[in-house]
Amino acid sequence: MPRRVYTPRKQELPLKGDNTSIFLQVMISIAVFIFAITLSGVLSINSMLYNWNRSILGSLTVQIMPVNSANKEKAAAETLAYQEKAVEFLKTVDGIVKVTPLQDEQLKKLIQPWLGDGVNIDNLPMPRIIDIKLAPDADIDFAQVAQNLAQASPQASLDNHKLWLNKLIQFADGLKLIAMTILILVTGITSGAIFYTTQMSLGLHKNIIEILHIMGAKDTYVAQQYAKRMAFLGGSGGIIGLFFSFPVIFFIGSLARQIEGGIISEANLSFGDWLVVCSLPLFSLTISMTTAYYTVKKTLQKML
Amino acid sequence: MEKYREPETIIEMQNVGIRYDQGPEILSDIKLSLKKGSFHFLTGKSGAGKTSLLSMMYLQQRPSRGSISVFGKNINFTHRDGLAMLRRRIGVVFQDFRLLDHLSAFDNVALPLRVCGMDEREVRKRVTELLNWVELSRHMQDTTATLSGGEKQRIAIARAVINRPELLLADEPTGNVDNDIAPKLMKLFVELNKLGTTVVIATHSDKLINDFAYPQLHLQNRSLHIHYPSEISRLGGRHA
Ligand SMILES: Nc1ncnc2c1ncn2[C@@H]1O[C@H](COP(=O)(O)OP(=O)(O)OP(=O)(O)O)[C@@H](O)[C@H]1O
Ligand SMILES: [Mg+2]
Repeated sequence: MPRRVYTPRKQELPLKGDNTSIFLQVMISIAVFIFAITLSGVLSINSMLYNWNRSILGSLTVQIMPVNSANKEKAAAETLAYQEKAVEFLKTVDGIVKVTPLQDEQLKKLIQPWLGDGVNIDNLPMPRIIDIKLAPDADIDFAQVAQNLAQASPQASLDNHKLWLNKLIQFADGLKLIAMTILILVTGITSGAIFYTTQMSLGLHKNIIEILHIMGAKDTYVAQQYAKRMAFLGGSGGIIGLFFSFPVIFFIGSLARQIEGGIISEANLSFGDWLVVCSLPLFSLTISMTTAYYTVKKTLQKML
Repeated sequence: MEKYREPETIIEMQNVGIRYDQGPEILSDIKLSLKKGSFHFLTGKSGAGKTSLLSMMYLQQRPSRGSISVFGKNINFTHRDGLAMLRRRIGVVFQDFRLLDHLSAFDNVALPLRVCGMDEREVRKRVTELLNWVELSRHMQDTTATLSGGEKQRIAIARAVINRPELLLADEPTGNVDNDIAPKLMKLFVELNKLGTTVVIATHSDKLINDFAYPQLHLQNRSLHIHYPSEISRLGGRHA
């Protein structure tokens, strides 16, 4: 009686036994590990930048330090004169659409909470504050404005906090650029490694491929076997790398929160950001698969 | 009356030469036209170039000069996928078998069917049937590395004919099999030939050549000569 038991079909190309497999899997998991951490860095910098930009754009304040003098009336008048000069200058700056000096009442309301109810504000030298509205698309060099303002009106100073924020934004933009470069490099190096190991493997299995060809296999038949194998390595390597990146991402996040200052704490990953980070194994799967597929197609072109 | 029609040309070679690397030409100015349904032996001393000539026919080697048409298609102007489609119509038995030794006998024979995407149920049916016929169903699941030379040869032949090829090229197909199985395999080739398959068999065996009255493609001094059975019998063959 003929046997009716069939062992499952084996792949003609013994790719599972390749000792480059484990190398590629480890390499891809390391790549995804670095990628995940860097990417979450980029995404949180992005959300931070978004929040900072929102707070820096739109409005700005200028403070006029009170002139100190025994003669209170005279001091107040001089302070007002400085305010007038500052207002005049600010109106000439491109991107500033509205300049409003705060009235005494508004000033008192702002300052009272800082001093407590027991202090009579009227007896103190009063700083003046100018509220500035910026055009939505204003592209202002705050450092330059601050310098020009100080010349126009020595007692005036641009809001320090925002100047500092502006510098931070430039710094964060730089960081983002570096991170993006890392992402591109990691992707490039990994697909380069896949390219070379695939070529090596094709050379190793040249005899089998030749027989497959003579049996009538198209290049696609071979390419699909490689693509399948690399999809598995890319996907599984990606999941491993992602798994190990989570504790690191959380650790860096908690460090950032300890720095506090209200600024870094805005560097939270949103739900959408997490979705992007978690889809990285899918990304590594796709890259690995297509790299292998096209490497095979391209390399086999040189055979008859 | 049916009008006589010239049979289709399966393989056409014009001024074909082949050399390896920068070495001397192994074959020169080969001119050959194989008609559909013909049966030829390919003879010549060891090293005369039999395998080289066959490898150009099954499209593993390109000639270093001249032109080859297979099934009416000039291979120099045929796209890679087009060559694959031509190869699917050709069955090859290699002199050194070239089985995939990490696969089972079954998977080896199934190869030509699977590369063209045949349904797995049909594959099983056909392969099981043929392995029964070559008396190797016992070894169906054994890897071919564990088989004897003669068994490997029968697997190689089964792989070559599984796809019912239009052209069958066999390099010493009866070299390693027992005397009682050799005629059975020859009978298979003859049957296939009767069904329309064009056959070329390279062989050293005088017995085979003498037992079957087929014309010979004889390689000598780098060129090809065709001997017809009548001549062969004059030269000492048993069949006219
Ligand atoms: N791949 C190759 N590289 C270099 N030389 C080769 C190659 N294949 C064959 N040759 C040379 O070409 C010549 C013809 O070889 P071929 O294998 O075609 O002879 P053959 O007639 O099949 O011999 P046999 O009867 O022993 O199988 C030989 O001299 C051989 O050394
Ligand atoms: Mg030979």
